[in-house]
Amino acid sequence: MASKEDILKKYRSNIRIQYDMPDLSDIQAVTYPNPLLQFMNMTKSVGGNAIEVEAGRDINELIRELFPDAKEIASNLPEITIATRNPDEVGRARDLNGTDVGIIRGSFGVAENACVWIPQTMKEKAVCFISENLIILLSKSQIVNNMHEAYARLSAEANSQEQFATPHSVPLGQRIAKSFEKYGYGTFISGPSKTADIAQVLVMGAQAARSATVLLLPE
Amino acid sequence: MSTQHSKAAKQFLKNQTYAHWHDATFWAVRSKRDNMAYGLDEWEQLREKASAIKRHTITHLDEYLDQFATAAEKNGAEVHWAKDAQEFNEIVYGILKSHNVKKMVKSKSMLTEECEMNPYLEERGIEVVETDLGERIIQLKGQKPSHIVMPAIHLNHDDVGELFEEKGISNEKGNHDPTYLTYRARLSLRNEFLTADAGMTGGNFGIAETGDIVVCTNEGNADMSTSCPKLHIAAIGLEKVIPNYDCLAVFQRMLCRAGTGQPTTTYTSHFRKARPTAHHMHIILVDNGRSDWIANPEHWESLKCIRCGSCMNTCPVYRRSGGYSYSYFIPGPIGINLGMLRDPQKHSGNVSACTLCLSCQTVCPVKLNLGDQIYQWRQQLDDFGTANPQKKLMCRAMSMVYGSPGLYNLATALAHWANYIPSPIMNCGLNPWADGHKMMQFPKKPFHEIIKDIER
Repeated sequence: MASKEDILKKYRSNIRIQYDMPDLSDIQAVTYPNPLLQFMNMTKSVGGNAIEVEAGRDINELIRELFPDAKEIASNLPEITIATRNPDEVGRARDLNGTDVGIIRGSFGVAENACVWIPQTMKEKAVCFISENLIILLSKSQIVNNMHEAYARLSAEANSQEQFATPHSVPLGQRIAKSFEKYGYGTFISGPSKTADIAQVLVMGAQAARSATVLLLPE
Repeated sequence: MSTQHSKAAKQFLKNQTYAHWHDATFWAVRSKRDNMAYGLDEWEQLREKASAIKRHTITHLDEYLDQFATAAEKNGAEVHWAKDAQEFNEIVYGILKSHNVKKMVKSKSMLTEECEMNPYLEERGIEVVETDLGERIIQLKGQKPSHIVMPAIHLNHDDVGELFEEKGISNEKGNHDPTYLTYRARLSLRNEFLTADAGMTGGNFGIAETGDIVVCTNEGNADMSTSCPKLHIAAIGLEKVIPNYDCLAVFQRMLCRAGTGQPTTTYTSHFRKARPTAHHMHIILVDNGRSDWIANPEHWESLKCIRCGSCMNTCPVYRRSGGYSYSYFIPGPIGINLGMLRDPQKHSGNVSACTLCLSCQTVCPVKLNLGDQIYQWRQQLDDFGTANPQKKLMCRAMSMVYGSPGLYNLATALAHWANYIPSPIMNCGLNPWADGHKMMQFPKKPFHEIIKDIER
């Protein structure tokens, strides 16, 4: 078996010329006068659904209205009282199969492409993919313009050494991002699972969620 | 004088209806890419940055690989190094065997195609199930991908419908609606995800600073492959490692816009650790030629490629000849170049599959000079012993004629006599020029004579 050293040594000795890292700070990336509106429009254009939730509206009731036929609802969020299964408590990840609606929380959205950052905050991340319909709760003030801002935010959160002794004193977005460190998995989700692999016809619902709804919550 | 590619392309073009559809489909993808690119004022700036980041990274890759491996190990992943395909396959098999894996689900990985991993594992009794829909279709069909992003593009919905009926995946005979077929595949694959013992993913990027493996999919199959099985193996080529999140932002924005004309893939997933209920994650870094290619003074930049597929979508030759006309498993402009780096004797036939229009390098998100490189490969064919003897002879004769003004003038003065040779003789198979061309008419008065007349 080749060792790391052999491969690296060979690669190093074969480099003929070296180039410097470019300056990335001058990228003139797109920004939007109303990032929330752009985020909502993009969500629709990638096949998802975005709903602004009024202050005082009962989330559980709203979800019931959106999916009146849902039998199995999976979530580990304390505010979701209608959940029938909990991804923190299932014996095996596969026990989450057959979930009609999965409800998870995103930490921030990206206006340019409707991505929502979902750090793993549950024992079994399967709930984010195995559910027939996915609902993402997102605070509507947490929308960045583009992926440069998104990754700068993740870098800053990863590098901050602050330990959250009193977790409720820090903003929710940051609290969630910290758990990326804990579970070591996170994903940007933009709309439902899709494919065009059969004759280039776009079909929603390939291997993961067949619909994706972002509920934009007031502060 | 035909090359391997042009012979295969002739077969492809026999079905004109399909050939037209293929051409139009990829042109539509190219147009979607244009809409995305024109929709961002900073697009060309991003291409400049992406190219510069890649140049820097692959010429400092030994440092970034070391940083990546250290970070990944700190996260709790086990990092393996494979110098070639054989070692890669042995490492994968070793891991699977030690966990007593019978079935593995996997998301799309061109690297595993490159290393021919699936047959290696299957010979040793491990079932491998592809979970990207296009890959699953061609796996069931016993075929190879014809495009790196749209692997089953050579099949239409009837082909897929009949295949699914034959394999018992769909049960409504004659229902070849893509939505129905996709749903049936979903049910079948869902069962595979739930019963597999291991999941394998490729990786679009490895992040040196954090040790993340980043996988971009539209279907969510990489995430499904790693959500239920208790073992995750990620395999990437050395050149997939980039420095940090700031660099990733540039590539994430470009990959899908350039490749399929979408603003992003549905899922951009970061794998840093295994799930709390799973075994630790394995990452395999594969060299398989890359450490040799970096030494090639003319072609090292091929290592910049991020495998978006935009060069094949735009290529007029790819669009009109299909992925199976190329001898290397990656087709199109990037495949021509990678094939030549891999084995020039075997893949020289592909370098003719280029009109030097340079559309590929105009759209390439990392500004890889694909067409220029193909031109350079052509200059080296004689060194590889793969130059066409007929063309060599013609070149020798032409340099004799063009090198001697007397001979040249005599030839142009006499050329019009060729017009009197009867067409069946001139346009027969013995004249290679007549293949696909109509013989030209030579003027009675050569150009030099006309100019002299005007000057008089």
